[in-house]
Amino acid sequence: MNVILGIGIILIFGLLSGKFAEKIKTPAITAYLLLGIIIGPFALGIISESMIRISGTISNIALSFIAFSIGQNFSSKTFRRVGKQVMWISVLEAVGAWLITVAGLLCFKIPLYMSLIFGAIAAASAPAAIIMVVREYKARGKFVDVLMGVVALDDAWGLIIFSLSLAISKAMYLNLSSSMGHVIMEAVMEIGGSFLVGGILGFILSKIGLYLKSQTDLLICTIGIIFIATGLSLYFHFSVLLTAMFMAAVVVNLNNESFKFFDVLSTIDWPIYLVFFVLAGASLEMDLLGQIGVIGIVYMIFRVIGKFAGTYLGAYIAKSDKDVKKYLSLGLLPQAGVALGMALIAKEQFPEAGNIIFTTVAATTIIYEIIGPFFVKLALHKTNQIHN
Amino acid sequence: MQVKNIMQTNIRSVKKGTTLGQLLASFKSFHSFPVVPVIDQEQVLIGTVHIRSFFEIFQPYNQELLIRNPLSMVSREPADIFNIEIEEGMGFLVIMADIMDTKIVKIDQDADLHKAYDLMQLHGKLAIPVVDENKKLVGIISVFDIVMKIFKEKGLV
Repeated sequence: MNVILGIGIILIFGLLSGKFAEKIKTPAITAYLLLGIIIGPFALGIISESMIRISGTISNIALSFIAFSIGQNFSSKTFRRVGKQVMWISVLEAVGAWLITVAGLLCFKIPLYMSLIFGAIAAASAPAAIIMVVREYKARGKFVDVLMGVVALDDAWGLIIFSLSLAISKAMYLNLSSSMGHVIMEAVMEIGGSFLVGGILGFILSKIGLYLKSQTDLLICTIGIIFIATGLSLYFHFSVLLTAMFMAAVVVNLNNESFKFFDVLSTIDWPIYLVFFVLAGASLEMDLLGQIGVIGIVYMIFRVIGKFAGTYLGAYIAKSDKDVKKYLSLGLLPQAGVALGMALIAKEQFPEAGNIIFTTVAATTIIYEIIGPFFVKLALHKTNQIHN
Repeated sequence: MQVKNIMQTNIRSVKKGTTLGQLLASFKSFHSFPVVPVIDQEQVLIGTVHIRSFFEIFQPYNQELLIRNPLSMVSREPADIFNIEIEEGMGFLVIMADIMDTKIVKIDQDADLHKAYDLMQLHGKLAIPVVDENKKLVGIISVFDIVMKIFKEKGLV
């Protein structure tokens, strides 16, 4: 089957599976992933090898779009707006999940470079799944306000933690025999390079934006600059995520009407995400599922402990009330899109370990997407956010 | 020709603390809902309320931050406006600050008409607020105002 026919089929069946998921109150992203598994090489085999081969390109495009959109949070205006409580909790629950998952995996003798990646992925959560529960129960109140603020921001912190961890892990993995100094140098080069490319292109985009006169020109320009940023990052082995995020941060702080770039991008991005998630499901190596037992369980348990400890500490520092301290972390357990995206990047970077990371995260994503919403509901119940 | 020469100056604006009830009462005889500027005590433009702002009322939380994460899917699903429980109290509990759009597209009153037109095209808007050099609201300009101006010049009106 040729690639264009394949994408057409993925889009139409993706749309149908998304609608079906809505009916049974499951996030669309989970449905796309399962669709990918069903039509992928391990089941129906509709998705051919040539499709899987282009999935690297599609995922780089999708991830740069996601990182660019999330990067618009990094404005002084946003930070002022969300308040101290949400800031402390979102930063610490993300960092908490990272550190404690890394520590947990190290105890089970998982190599440091792998543990770092798992830890960073643990920071991500799934806003769509959490919002779905809040909407379904029409939950309302102070607890929901804090939860939504934290959910909105934690993927931003997660992407930064992941990019830093990946830079360190890669340097460690590629220079196993070299000194620590060399490893740090390589990581700093990758991060610094991303900032440089993102910064320059962000500046260019915000200036060109002043001369554009139609939505179409705006869309072409935004996509063009994102592609150049992503392409340059790939060429120089910088971080695609950091580059796109930093570019967005520069645009947001330089251009008063910067929302136009993000709004116009959001009119065309979803089909790309859909294909991205279906292909992610299709590239899942089912025969590895048997091997992930211990890692998967350790990852899942320590992520929960990390989220709880981080939230508790953040809520303690920000002097939140005890409901937030005790129950907010339960609302943060679902995990999906961003985590999968991170795992796909890891898969590309580390030939063997990457496959284990990706398969583990894909499997735990499905588990988290099934059990996560129950915990969100529990948290809303315990804190009396569900009226009637 | 400058924006201030053809903009509408007799406009309705609301304050940050204006309640939903007050807003609805003052627009109930309009045939469709326009763009309403929101101003602070010093007349400075701080946001706009437009038809989409009402969808905020149908959500249990503030959507602004969540929209920035594309995977949150917040902006992709239409609000379930037919199945919402609205208590009467919301008429005075919800204020403009809760629902206004802070992504402001505005134009300076001294700007050229071409610039105003380009700006509206770029953002896909039919009308935008006009401000003076101190960012204070002084009027609204719409595509219709500009079209009218051209028709007048050509002798159609």
